[in-house]
Amino acid sequence: MRHVELADVTAAYGRTRVLDGVSFGVDRGQIVSLIGPSGSGKSTILRVLTGLLKPQAGQVRVGGEPVDFADRRRLRAMRARFAVVFQQFNLFQNMTALDNVSIAPIKVGGRPRREVEAEGAALLARVGLGGKLKAYPDELSGGQQQRVAIARALALRPEVLLLDEVTASLDPELVSEVLDTIRDLAAEGMTMLIVSHEMGFVRELSSKVVFMADGRVVEDGPPARIFDAPQERRTRDFVSKILRH
Amino acid sequence: MGYAINYEQVFPYLPYLIGGAWLSLQIAFLAFVGGAVLGLLGAFALSFGGPLLRGVTRAYVTFFTNTPQLVQIYFLFFALPEAGVLLSSQQAVLLGMTLNAGAYLTEIQRAGFSSVRAAEMEAAEVLGFTRLQQVRYVVLPHIARTLFPPLSNHYILMTLGTSMAAIFGVEELTGRALNVNSETFRSIEVFTMTAGLYILVTLVANVVLALAGRWLFRARMRLL
Ligand SMILES: Nc1ncnc2c1ncn2[C@@H]1O[C@H](COP(=O)(O)OP(=O)(O)O)[C@@H](O)[C@H]1O
Ligand SMILES: [Mg+2]
Repeated sequence: MRHVELADVTAAYGRTRVLDGVSFGVDRGQIVSLIGPSGSGKSTILRVLTGLLKPQAGQVRVGGEPVDFADRRRLRAMRARFAVVFQQFNLFQNMTALDNVSIAPIKVGGRPRREVEAEGAALLARVGLGGKLKAYPDELSGGQQQRVAIARALALRPEVLLLDEVTASLDPELVSEVLDTIRDLAAEGMTMLIVSHEMGFVRELSSKVVFMADGRVVEDGPPARIFDAPQERRTRDFVSKILRH
Repeated sequence: MGYAINYEQVFPYLPYLIGGAWLSLQIAFLAFVGGAVLGLLGAFALSFGGPLLRGVTRAYVTFFTNTPQLVQIYFLFFALPEAGVLLSSQQAVLLGMTLNAGAYLTEIQRAGFSSVRAAEMEAAEVLGFTRLQQVRYVVLPHIARTLFPPLSNHYILMTLGTSMAAIFGVEELTGRALNVNSETFRSIEVFTMTAGLYILVTLVANVVLALAGRWLFRARMRLL
């Protein structure tokens, strides 16, 4: 059974249609990467999966069960199975790194503070921020903030981790560190949906690559096929352009 | 060289002046609290109200931020009795300062409302926070942190602004200084002492507010 599945999902911001009948699935333990030109709707897919944007048509199924976007409580329950790290760091500015990581498991998950904080400290150490537990976001570099955001996502113990261009705004020397963290998660069998422009990384790690353009899935398949033998001309153009960088 | 500085004659009035400073503080504090509540309502009206409510609020803010406070108080002092409302001079000053503060604090607080980052709200949403939790853990701390420094500044300004109450015969610090002056004719001594008391009051308020802001809200505030 598919862990997560989008079936013919259409979504819009106001009148602008941004997703136009998107279908693809993510199996348990799989790493699926979304690639495609900027503005093709990759982030929007993650916004739909986290319930921030209600699809106009189509269905999202998690564990085989259709998601009811109209029911706030059930939507929250569905959300608890996902964690997302956005491209821009949206940490809580009024909280330390450790509080950012701990607050949701404590206040939403209802877990004991001591246990959560010990785990949060370990997670921060794991992303290389063991010495910054008490630092506030405005005292951290962009790269450090992004790693706090990853730790915050992991603290939710999600079934599926959604990563939206998490290395896009990192200093080059920090990119590999973050990618290594993601590799470790992959080795542990975490199900992930990744939006990334790090093509080497996408190719190495992905079980499946989904290429999008203009709000549609143009082509999907194993990385070897998408990168070496794309069937569609748009995929070929995109891949050859981005690999030449 | 006709004037020899001599504080001896004025010193006995120090407790009297301190009493005046205490009244100044009280007026400033009451007007500030009243103004903050008015301002909160005004900020809500501007942010979330309908066209009529927004229009009325906008008119109120425009009037009180574009006319001198002194004129506003004169108006209350002389116009309200015509309408059958008799105010003591102290009440007129308090009311005028409250209305004036309400207008400025409407602007300040509205800016605080609109500065809450959408990205933080989204993060709270996807972390599973309820609406109430979003308000409690994201919106309010953010607003408090953003608003505390400008509110503190306005409070200090209001403390100094209370001196105009003297014009209406209120015996706050400046009023009492005028009294002492007319009894002793030691103008330089009286007014340096009065200035010293104002400085003391505002410095203490500054330090206390900055410490409170830093510890409570992590607001960026200089101590002095
Ligand atoms: N909040 C928004 N309001 C209106 N349009 C938006 C908004 N966010 C994104 N869009 C538009 O939706 C389209 C898809 O955006 P997005 O999903 O962010 O693309 P990608 O992540 O692939 O770069 C773009 O054309 C973008 O301009
Ligand atoms: Mg994007």
